[in-house]
Amino acid sequence: MDGLQVQGIRKVYGSTAVVDNVSFEAPQGRILGVLGPNGAGKTTIIRMIMGITAPDQGDIYFTDNSVKTKGVPFSTIGYLPEERGLYKEAKVMSILLFLSGLKDVPKAQAKERAMLWLRKFELEDYAYKKVEQLSKGMAQKVQFIASILHEPKFIVLDEPFSGLDPVSQDIFKEEIRALANSGATVLLSSHQMNIVEALCDEIFLIHKGKEVVKGNLESIKERYGSFRVDLLSSAPKEAVLETHMVESVEQLAEERYRYTLKDGIKPLDFVQALPSGLDVRDLTITRPSLHDIFVNVAQGGASYEGSLEDRQLGNYA
Amino acid sequence: MKGLWKIANWEITRNLTNKQFIIGLLLTPVLMGLFAGVPILLDRLNQPSLSTYYVVDHLGELASLQALLPENIALKEHQDSGSIADVVRDTNSSGYFTLDQSFITTGQIDVVYNDRSMETLSTVKGSLTALLQQIRLAHSDISLEQLAFVNAPAQVREVALDEELEPQTMHMIVAMVFTVLVFFLILTSGTMLMQSALQEKRDRMAEVVLSSVRSVQLMQGKILGHFLLGLMQLIFWIAIGLPIARYFWDFSIMEALAAVDVPVILFFGLGGYLLYSALFVGLGATMEDLQSASNSQSLVIMLPALSFLFLGPVISNPDGTIAVFASIFPFTSPAIMMLRSGLTVVPLWQTLGSAALLLLTAWVIILLASKIFRIGMLMYGKNASFKEVVKWIHYKES
Repeated sequence: MDGLQVQGIRKVYGSTAVVDNVSFEAPQGRILGVLGPNGAGKTTIIRMIMGITAPDQGDIYFTDNSVKTKGVPFSTIGYLPEERGLYKEAKVMSILLFLSGLKDVPKAQAKERAMLWLRKFELEDYAYKKVEQLSKGMAQKVQFIASILHEPKFIVLDEPFSGLDPVSQDIFKEEIRALANSGATVLLSSHQMNIVEALCDEIFLIHKGKEVVKGNLESIKERYGSFRVDLLSSAPKEAVLETHMVESVEQLAEERYRYTLKDGIKPLDFVQALPSGLDVRDLTITRPSLHDIFVNVAQGGASYEGSLEDRQLGNYA
Repeated sequence: MKGLWKIANWEITRNLTNKQFIIGLLLTPVLMGLFAGVPILLDRLNQPSLSTYYVVDHLGELASLQALLPENIALKEHQDSGSIADVVRDTNSSGYFTLDQSFITTGQIDVVYNDRSMETLSTVKGSLTALLQQIRLAHSDISLEQLAFVNAPAQVREVALDEELEPQTMHMIVAMVFTVLVFFLILTSGTMLMQSALQEKRDRMAEVVLSSVRSVQLMQGKILGHFLLGLMQLIFWIAIGLPIARYFWDFSIMEALAAVDVPVILFFGLGGYLLYSALFVGLGATMEDLQSASNSQSLVIMLPALSFLFLGPVISNPDGTIAVFASIFPFTSPAIMMLRSGLTVVPLWQTLGSAALLLLTAWVIILLASKIFRIGMLMYGKNASFKEVVKWIHYKES
């Protein structure tokens, strides 16, 4: 498989393991969302993949055109860090040329590409302006350009959307998708769950240095997101509970209840099992969003992790 | 290696296109000239102003006393001792005194002053003493010639045991100029390096650059870049300074170069640069901004100033214990050894020992600095404490 492979990496600072036995894969041409609450260890993982710091244990491999290397070669990396900026007193073009020069892009080619990208973001008039004259959004676009100008095979974007207006967010989303389609492996870290949900093919969720959830977005929802049924009915909830398919129930309004189905219960089975003659005025079936899964992990971390572990061990239907 | 040069190149072009740097480059010689010229100018401007003393002269020695005084102190005769104080006050003169017989017999005299200029008063005192001696001498049998003979000071000529020990003015001046110049460059380059690391952190660029080059390369590239920048500055200043120096003094370039110990200046200049640049680039990596530098960080910043403390003692006694110590202690040896090499003949063991110690220290500092740099460049939002920095040094190499 072409792409990134992370195998059992661990990083200890002092006596705490900031990253503990983490493994995942990011296949080429796909977008992997790395999620986790603040301080979960995302940046440390990213820095280890970049080769900025080294893991105490474990290995990182990158495969391109079936050639496997240990670690990701510098020239193939495009990186947009969360903590970002630009040399304030330097000109946009000279920064772009310096950074792509570090990646061994010939100057003439770099200049051509830079102008192309600047035009794409309507920044061509700022090519020879100093960074201090740029607005925050403009600077962020320049940083984005800087991270992909050398046509990297492996792109890491840490919170690329923060501080962007909705229009620019859409442009970024399009470009990121296009980069993946052109064969790059994209690793995206963000707190904006709706964007992650819309953009990422794979998800890797980490909490307190340990992996919690990983895999294809749909299969994650299937595995970890029990169906929820919102029911507006005059019938007492006991009547519904008799189906023995309900994990928990929550009253939303006077006659509106939210039933969370047990794992593995299909919505159709549940609906069919409902007592006949039940007065149903409204019925919606939903899955918890990525947002819900994330919040659950971030808040009730430990207990949720425990139950997840059970599920992973096969303790569900 | 390629990355190293690219970083160095970036540091150089970034500075050469920076207005502040260009202004500094041009302004520094002007400032140095001012620092050297202003004291001389001030000294000239500070010519003592004219002061006037009123004298009631019962001895008829006014003319003799005036002859003993410099031009800027004038004496005016006044007959009436009753009104003399008012006259001095009204004319805003410096003071008055009375020359009478009791001055000759007791030597006591009251100089009443209105203007308390220490310099003028002591000149007047000295002249009165001389006058007293003259008058008393005139009453004795000793001739003026005899007196001059008795009072003549010893004429001491300083002769060095070995001819090569003899200080040559040219050596001294050139050594001092070089010491100051090279050390000034080490200081400014060091500060610029610190700023460069600090700025890269503050501009949040460190992480992006570190996804392209190793941190060791980034650090070495910075050090190399600022070394070349410093060299350019030095050459630029010498190119400006030499013609000026030749204009004012009779000066030959070859003679000047022959006068200095080139290997010593090269070695200690380079060694000092390595030591301080590594120290400062590492320091910059531990800081978020200069204003909130901690005590331990400020101490490191002050370290180069140590050399200046030793300048005086070394110049007055270039072979003394303090001079020997300061020329071996690695944090002062770069400047002090250069200076000593111009002032005296430094024993070979001292030069070699000092050189070895400097190299060793620079090597250790570079090792420590690269460890600190590696971690520090990725830390944001605060100045690292001393404890944290020690912890970083103990982290395993990645």
